[in-house]
Amino acid sequence: MSTITVRNVTHVFPGGVLAVSDATIEIRAGEFVSIVGPSGCGKTTVLNLVAGLVDLQQGKIDVAGKPPRAGRGDVAYMLARDCLFPWRTALANVMLGGEYRGVPKSDREARARLFLNKVGLSGFEHSYPKALSHGMRQRVALARTFSLHSPVLLMDEPFGALDAQTKLQLEDVLLDLWTAEQRTVAFITHDLNEAVTLSDRVIVMSARPGRILADIPIDLPRPRSVRALQKDARYHEIYAEVWSWLEQSLLQAHMI
Amino acid sequence: MKRQGIIIGVLQVVTLVAFFMLWEWAAVARAVDPIFIGQPTRIFDFLYESIFVTGSLFKDTAWTLGETAVAFVLGSATGIAFGLLFVVWPPVERFFNPLFAGLNALPRIALAPLFLLWFGLGAPSKIALGFSLTFFIVLSSTVAGARSVDPDWLILSRMLGASRAAMFWKVTLVSAVPTIFSGLRLGLIYALLGVIGGEIIAGRHGLGQQLTYLAGTFNTNGVFAVLFFLSILGVTLTWVMGGIENYLLRWR
Repeated sequence: MSTITVRNVTHVFPGGVLAVSDATIEIRAGEFVSIVGPSGCGKTTVLNLVAGLVDLQQGKIDVAGKPPRAGRGDVAYMLARDCLFPWRTALANVMLGGEYRGVPKSDREARARLFLNKVGLSGFEHSYPKALSHGMRQRVALARTFSLHSPVLLMDEPFGALDAQTKLQLEDVLLDLWTAEQRTVAFITHDLNEAVTLSDRVIVMSARPGRILADIPIDLPRPRSVRALQKDARYHEIYAEVWSWLEQSLLQAHMI
Repeated sequence: MKRQGIIIGVLQVVTLVAFFMLWEWAAVARAVDPIFIGQPTRIFDFLYESIFVTGSLFKDTAWTLGETAVAFVLGSATGIAFGLLFVVWPPVERFFNPLFAGLNALPRIALAPLFLLWFGLGAPSKIALGFSLTFFIVLSSTVAGARSVDPDWLILSRMLGASRAAMFWKVTLVSAVPTIFSGLRLGLIYALLGVIGGEIIAGRHGLGQQLTYLAGTFNTNGVFAVLFFLSILGVTLTWVMGGIENYLLRWR
């Protein structure tokens, strides 16, 4: 059974711009699925519809058997920016979700410390964001997302603003966390390497209006290592396949 | 950089000493009549006497500071409360906006005679004048601060399950604090300005009233002494506010 079902969803922006056209996506429990596509193709709109941040106009969406609603306890959301509150320490930032959800202080603190440790930031619990690098801040954001008990994670280009080297490190951290926790992940990215490295499947969307062009299974064995995959022939084959679909979409839209 | 700092410091002291020496000379040599410019050594004598011998300056300072504190606390609290109300319920802002715009456009000192009529010669009329200045400054900084909250913080909070009240108290309000503090720092100086202005126009106590009395008796040295003291007081108040701000906003 799918944890996330997006069926025949069409979305029109105010002003009449057709953003998403008849999109259907199924994500099974514990699956890591990336959605890629040209800039402005409606990837984030689909994610925001699933998150309940944007009202559904046409079609049907189910998240764990229920219609989407922002603020559900079983769904966590991660934005491209780390969105850390500068007035809170790293620990207090990770504890934020638990605080909003009424988790007892001792529980949420223990969990926050555990996940800060998992993302390699033990010792930085009492640092304010201004004292952390971009990569460290995004690690805190990862810890904040994973420290919640939410089985569904929606991630909107979480490493999009990082430099290449930091991004590779963070992808490894995410792979480790996901392998240990096996959450259901919908991951938006424009980076094909990232999509192939992390995912069980990659969904390619067309240029606007966003339609689903391809659903490509990534049959690379797990656990994966970002660096080891760079030398894997199968990885490059899959990358070429995903790229050919994306290239087709870009050509159709006269973007290349 | 450090060397540059030392040079600037030395130059500042030298300029200040030269200025006072020139001033002293102009007064002693009667290049300018001391009735207009006073005399630095006499100004210092006046300050010394009214601080360490009679203590009269302290009494007036206590009045002025007390009135300033009340005007500042009331003006800031009301300004913040109205500012937050405006952000939470924009129709309230639309209702009050024309009234507040009109009141804020008034030269506040022009209200002093009315405040004297309503509240008498004592402290309340000075507090009202200080309040009328502080209120609008803190109000506009609160509205500006609360409106400039990062929308991504609100999206994140919403997704994390925050209630509307939690988003307001834990995100909107906290993120507005630095801007509110800029308003508070300015509001404190304007509260002092309003109170002194009120005391100058009519009063029984305070540094403003003391200034009027000294000027009226042609005691120029006394006037300059009180002005120096006021300047030091203003700088100290700003410095204390800056210290509180730096401590509370140490995360910046």
